[in-house]
Amino acid sequence: MHILHKQVYSIFLYLFLFIGICNASAQQKYAFSGRVITKSGVPLTGASIKITTGGNSAVTNADGKFFIQSLPSGHYKFKISYIGYKELKEELTLPLKDNQSIFFTLQEEENDLSEVVVTGRTVVQETNRQAFNVTAVDAKKLYNTTLDISGALDRVAGIRVRESGGVGSNFNLSLNGFSGNHVKYFIDGIPMDNFGTSFQINNIPINIADRIEVYKGVVPMWLGSDALGGAINIITADRYRNYVDASYSFGSFNTHRSVVNAAMTSQKGFTVQLNAFQNYSDNDYKVDVEASDIYTGAYAAEASLRRFHDTYHNETFIANVGVVDKSYADKLLFGITLGQNYKEIQTGARMVTVFGGWHRRGNTIMPTLKYKKEDLIKGLDVTINANYNLGKEQNIDTMNVRYDWYGTTKPNGSNGESSRSLYEYKNNNGLATTMLNYQINDNQSLSLSNVFSTFNRKGSDPLNPGNAQYELTKKTNKNVLGLGYSFDVKSKWSATVFGKFINQNSINGGGAAAGNDNVSKFGYGGATTYFIKPNLQLKASYELTNRMPEAYEIFGDVENQEGNPGLKPEKSANINLGMNYSFSLNENSYLFFAANAIYRNATDFIYNKLNNNQSKLVADNREGVRTWGGDAEVRYSYKDWLTAGTTFTYQYLQNLQMFEPGYTGVSIVYKDQMPNIPYLFGNSDVSVSLKNFGKKGNNLNIGYNLLYVHAFWLYWPSQGGKGVNDDKKVIPEQLCHDLNLVYSLAKGRYNIALEGKNLTNASLYDNFSLQKPGRGFYLNLRYFFNKNNNN
Amino acid sequence: MKTNILKTCAALAIAVAITSCSKSDNGPSNPGNFIVAVTPVASTGVADYLLTTSSLDTGKITTVGSGVEQDGTYRYYVTHNNKFFSMLYGQGNPGAVTTYSILNGQLNKLSNFQTETVQAFAPVNDDLLLIKISRNITNPLSSWYQVNTNTLLITAEGTINTQEPSHNGETAHFSWIKQVGNKVFAPYFSIKGLPGAAFETNYPDSAWIAVYSYPEMKLEKVIKDNRTSFIGRYFTDGLAVVENGDTYAFSSSVAVTNKVLSSTKPSAITRIKSGTTEFDQSYFCDFESISNGYVITNWIYIGDNNFVVNASLKAEKGAYTVGTTIGIVNVLNKTFTQVTGMPDVNDIQGITNNNYTPKDGRYAYIGVNLKSGLGYVYKIDATNHTATQGLKVEGGLITAIQHLQ
Repeated sequence: MHILHKQVYSIFLYLFLFIGICNASAQQKYAFSGRVITKSGVPLTGASIKITTGGNSAVTNADGKFFIQSLPSGHYKFKISYIGYKELKEELTLPLKDNQSIFFTLQEEENDLSEVVVTGRTVVQETNRQAFNVTAVDAKKLYNTTLDISGALDRVAGIRVRESGGVGSNFNLSLNGFSGNHVKYFIDGIPMDNFGTSFQINNIPINIADRIEVYKGVVPMWLGSDALGGAINIITADRYRNYVDASYSFGSFNTHRSVVNAAMTSQKGFTVQLNAFQNYSDNDYKVDVEASDIYTGAYAAEASLRRFHDTYHNETFIANVGVVDKSYADKLLFGITLGQNYKEIQTGARMVTVFGGWHRRGNTIMPTLKYKKEDLIKGLDVTINANYNLGKEQNIDTMNVRYDWYGTTKPNGSNGESSRSLYEYKNNNGLATTMLNYQINDNQSLSLSNVFSTFNRKGSDPLNPGNAQYELTKKTNKNVLGLGYSFDVKSKWSATVFGKFINQNSINGGGAAAGNDNVSKFGYGGATTYFIKPNLQLKASYELTNRMPEAYEIFGDVENQEGNPGLKPEKSANINLGMNYSFSLNENSYLFFAANAIYRNATDFIYNKLNNNQSKLVADNREGVRTWGGDAEVRYSYKDWLTAGTTFTYQYLQNLQMFEPGYTGVSIVYKDQMPNIPYLFGNSDVSVSLKNFGKKGNNLNIGYNLLYVHAFWLYWPSQGGKGVNDDKKVIPEQLCHDLNLVYSLAKGRYNIALEGKNLTNASLYDNFSLQKPGRGFYLNLRYFFNKNNNN
Repeated sequence: MKTNILKTCAALAIAVAITSCSKSDNGPSNPGNFIVAVTPVASTGVADYLLTTSSLDTGKITTVGSGVEQDGTYRYYVTHNNKFFSMLYGQGNPGAVTTYSILNGQLNKLSNFQTETVQAFAPVNDDLLLIKISRNITNPLSSWYQVNTNTLLITAEGTINTQEPSHNGETAHFSWIKQVGNKVFAPYFSIKGLPGAAFETNYPDSAWIAVYSYPEMKLEKVIKDNRTSFIGRYFTDGLAVVENGDTYAFSSSVAVTNKVLSSTKPSAITRIKSGTTEFDQSYFCDFESISNGYVITNWIYIGDNNFVVNASLKAEKGAYTVGTTIGIVNVLNKTFTQVTGMPDVNDIQGITNNNYTPKDGRYAYIGVNLKSGLGYVYKIDATNHTATQGLKVEGGLITAIQHLQ
């Protein structure tokens, strides 16, 4: 390791000289790290470490660890605080001898309840202490599973991830009833809108993340975007300066996944960070389908057949090189994301429609820049990110045949299986974000953020070179400017108010809606939180938010999504109320309880419907949709070996469009419940952790997860008969049992995990007729090595 | 004995009470042998709800809480061999067909089977003949399927060259198909089949019928008439066979060239005499002149040489414009009379194109959809030239009215 380290160091030295950036005046700076623990050795998450003699500060992570960078040598005074604990004052002189790690031990305040630490996978406390309605998923606790990001999110209260099949299949995440583009995705605060199909939450493994923050409804200003239903922010975090984390899993349906994460950082701050991951699956699971004989048209009743054209694979590689802990930058990274994916399409919108040759490809070639500097001038933090995606997407449908479920084909004219195409396009997405944060004093801060994104579609199809559609201009520029003010009395209450100004300019080169469309919208909101007791928190937030139509929704993608140039921006008033409470039942058992209530009133609600021929989706406005609902979570832990929890979500989405276009009478579905949206669902989990199992330093974890989704109607609930003969289309109830065993050796350096998914082999559906995989088993091997840990 | 009778009466009364209760719980709200297909006003991707009713003359049916859901955006319905066929139209995707009979006034699902998405279908002998018609000049072949309505399976399939009948560098697009004697008549419009001009033509002033043998589907002859533009319209049956075996044809005169209506011929009715395969040059009914300036957009033959027609003003005609003016045409007398009693034209959203007639020469039941979102079945009386409001339909647009024994 050390040799490798040196080599990397010299490579970067050369690279750096070549670029010509020289930092001659740099004074030798030091970093130090440590942990904040209780008297009994339990790590404290979210404890604050402040240098009283100068601005730097840090907050401990889920393991109680913190890391402070770029300090010149000298004597420092520290203040370490955590609610319910006595403030600790310490003095230290840097550099420390032998680069040692520091332990700060906090004493409980006498008048307080005994120490409350509820362990479990969804509680990352510091994030949850924000005024926003936010849930953080601690990704690290899931590292030994084969979950991707979307799988982890599916276990969060209020979230339902609907999948159309196995690995790599289409997914639609709904958050408090809002789905699709209402919910925006970020990675380290950078919008993921333009990352292409090779880098999406359904193929990013959980190991890439440190934690995932889920903002329900009101989205903080610093996530500059026009999200309307909420936001998901994947925090990758520079967890360790030098580490390797590699895993490989193999399982049912010929599924292989691997992930390698590594970082190397020299003493002088040159760093290289690598993430690489790969997913492959044949997805050849069995489905129960009415398979028709291609010649007679006769259906074989309930045949159980394997999917035969559903292979998916993707490979993604992310590299960042640069410097950390310099006087001009805490972090300056130049990176590139390279990815590709291949996806076969087995079925249409219904499983009776089967394909055998149609597939898609896509790639991502995305240079990135990340810059961050805290205290550029005292109290001012600056973050700048930029990226540009040069990737392409292609839709390939060249076989002029029709398939049946037995793999038999017969000629079918000249229009391909669905619609003959070799269409290839590039969206030319660019993104630049700037974030300034100024700490006025201990209680007040101001922040300003700006996000600019651009879209310019260029495409062609060698099979239809004359199609003028491809030549038309399809351009969008969007800018989101936000300003926010926060007032924070640590551990007592905090409040934030913000405004967002969104401007979008679209140039549409063709059709009836040709022209230049310029729309500006102003939105605002606020959030506040109050701690009645250190362990009892109340939250309230309100936002009037706007969402612009996405470029995809305006222009379509000439394959799956039909454009709707007349789409109007959507507006929503969101109100959230929340509380969480944690307490100990006795010395060994702890309980955590959280509950949220939501209200959404959206006008010009944008939703996807099938187009007139049911061959594509098309976005459309519904005049009004009102949602109210709530979610709750209970977690219990006993000592450090048993945890259990349950989340539950109910949401009622109501159609408030009184008149249908073209009609004068009150719509028959006015005030009806919105169809095809899960409205009652939950998760339960139990996990047992056996320490020093077999050998000292080896742990065995046994976990069980149950998913429940109540049945829901595909179409308007009020319409049509509900008797057996009435054929009313329903998405049936889901009950899915998963089990996993993880054996960790040598303090977590080697991990072996065995997972069983859908143990009862239930027929599960998220979308009407599209069956998900049956029972599957997966073996996951992981190696983790961290230099700091290994001292 | 007396007590026995009393007991029996009591038992019967209870039984009646129970049956009437369970009926309102489980049965259709409106059992009967008429089937009304209703498309919801609020678009959600559901095609139709199929409702039953015992009468088209009175009463009310609603999609709230009743109706058999039909998946898909567009569905087409045809009744043959006392079975009701619900056919899914899904562009590029295979079409699913569900077959129903009526049992105790309820729809009774007989089977599902799969076909292609087709653009024309019609009963021929004991079969349904379905044709998937090419609209692209690069593809000369159109596919046909023969579905046996007893076994409910595809019994034969094949292709025909739809560039062969037109023989003019364009392709023939059948407006519909019809069994005439033991032949299949396929009136067509000549189309360019080019991107951006798929349904345009350079030949707007002729009518053609391709005549095929059955079941071989061999092209036997193409008959042509230069007195009118093409017969029928897209997805519209422009032919009708009357009791004496004569075939009547209408033309809307809606051919398009360079994006504008280009035919110089009037909307008119022509005839093919029974047993012949030539247009009867001695017969010509200029609809525009007998109606004082209307064109036919659709019709239904009700017997005794009487047709109920939809018409629109010539000035308002279009290739896909369905007329909301209803009148009676007698093809022998060459007369046209508008009916009285229809709702105000300004309140009409559209007229159903798949309607019911008992073929008694006098009555037809047609669906009239109002802009309020309500639909009514109107009973058309060809003798008195009246339209009478009948069954009220709540929940959406009436797309078909059919009847099974």
